[in-house]
Amino acid sequence: MVEAFAVASGKGGTGKTTSTLALGMALAEDYDVTVIDADTGMANLLFHAGLDDADVTLHDLLVDERDAAVSDAVYERFGMSVVPCGTSLAAFEAADPGRLRDVVAELAADADVLLLDSPAALGSKSAVLPVVLADRIVVVLQPTVPSLSDGLKVQEYAHSYGTDTAGVVFNRVRPDENVDKIAEQAGRYFGGQTLASVPESDAVRAARREGKPLLAHAPEDPAADAFREAAARLDVRDGDGRDVAERFKSAVVPERI
Amino acid sequence: MRIPRGELRRSRVVDDAAAVLRAVLDEELTGYVVFEPQDALLLGETTSGVVTFEDGIPVLAYDTEREVGGRDGLEGFAVTGPTRAAVHAVDTAALADAHEVEAFRIPPGDPARVLAGDERLAEQTVDAAPAARRDEGRDQSAVEAFLADADAIEEIRSEAREEARARASEWGLDDVLADDARDSAAIEPGTDSR
Ligand SMILES: Nc1ncnc2c1ncn2[C@@H]1O[C@H](COP(=O)(O)OP(=O)(O)OP(=O)(O)O)[C@@H](O)[C@H]1O
Ligand SMILES: [Mg+2]
Repeated sequence: MVEAFAVASGKGGTGKTTSTLALGMALAEDYDVTVIDADTGMANLLFHAGLDDADVTLHDLLVDERDAAVSDAVYERFGMSVVPCGTSLAAFEAADPGRLRDVVAELAADADVLLLDSPAALGSKSAVLPVVLADRIVVVLQPTVPSLSDGLKVQEYAHSYGTDTAGVVFNRVRPDENVDKIAEQAGRYFGGQTLASVPESDAVRAARREGKPLLAHAPEDPAADAFREAAARLDVRDGDGRDVAERFKSAVVPERI
Repeated sequence: MRIPRGELRRSRVVDDAAAVLRAVLDEELTGYVVFEPQDALLLGETTSGVVTFEDGIPVLAYDTEREVGGRDGLEGFAVTGPTRAAVHAVDTAALADAHEVEAFRIPPGDPARVLAGDERLAEQTVDAAPAARRDEGRDQSAVEAFLADADAIEEIRSEAREEARARASEWGLDDVLADDARDSAAIEPGTDSR
């Protein structure tokens, strides 16, 4: 069984990478979790997971000439399988986004849950692929108008490709903000459920500096609690790994820029 | 409200207030811009308003006809169509008093959003603003008002749906579109489409 979630937002910096690793660690208590940095143009998951010096990354799997095995880019960290992506622009340009499907399909074979950390953009094929490939999206929002508005856009893109919404995480919520009302209103437009309201927390930034996921760096922090709560609310479904592979057959068409 | 008279830099009719706001941001103007929507004039109404700036970042807005400031004031002279924009420069110190009128202050991204409907420019303006001002747009009541406007939200969604569909063909992803997205008919918002 496997279900693939794209952690998406539309707007940059809402906390997708933070959320991907936090949800991943929380879900890893019960499931085999693989986390993939599908933000291939602006990869930064590697910095959040202490994999700055990873030799083989997703980029190597997306370039034709290189014959790296998928397993070479998988690192066992913090109870999860982590597939980081490199940060070189040249590698990104050489990468064939269509190959992501095959990589994801292969990774799906050994996992219960796939989490795809997705780009903060919708303007290119490689940017929408994670949302196309996933079974469902988790939308990471900040309680601001631009963030909500971009979140709605991502969701529409996802729905266009038959990808539903698993739920919404409100992140970086300030102490003086009460997101209950906002969450209730937003619930009318976003599918799934409100998974959690994650407070703004210094521990999140400190974790990033340490190169550790929040749940490893500060498991007692209220933000960590909120992410565990979000993970508990996610009703992971039994999917069929082949679904992922069968989806988006045309992805082999090379992207023109 | 009193804004010290500045030195007129330029005055012209523009089709889009965004162009003026962008120029002011680029040149880091300290001063103010007087906006006079031209279509309102044709209808025999006078509408005009002023937005002040510090280093290119909007600080306050005031509807000079209705004498209303802040976000409400801004909405008063947000009229589509050509507008005359008169750009004036003023010393920072001379603006200090006016800028203390809390009720007339606006979040830095609001003029781009309200006068020009330009979300991207709004964002760029916020990014360029000093840290202390960047959070001003985080006004819970603004978020609640946004979410309460179901029509506006449906517009964002249907635009995004269309964009998604158009780009899917551009990217050769047509055949992975959900069936209902492939039809040209409108999709029910939020339906489970798989
Ligand atoms: N709850 C939080 N409290 C405090 N800081 C946070 C929180 N969540 C995220 N951050 C910080 O915000 C920044 C952006 O977070 P993150 O990298 O997870 O966002 P992202 O959506 O993946 O960004 P990008 O769009 O650039 O990929 C980071 O510096 C992170 O430490
Ligand atoms: Mg990220």
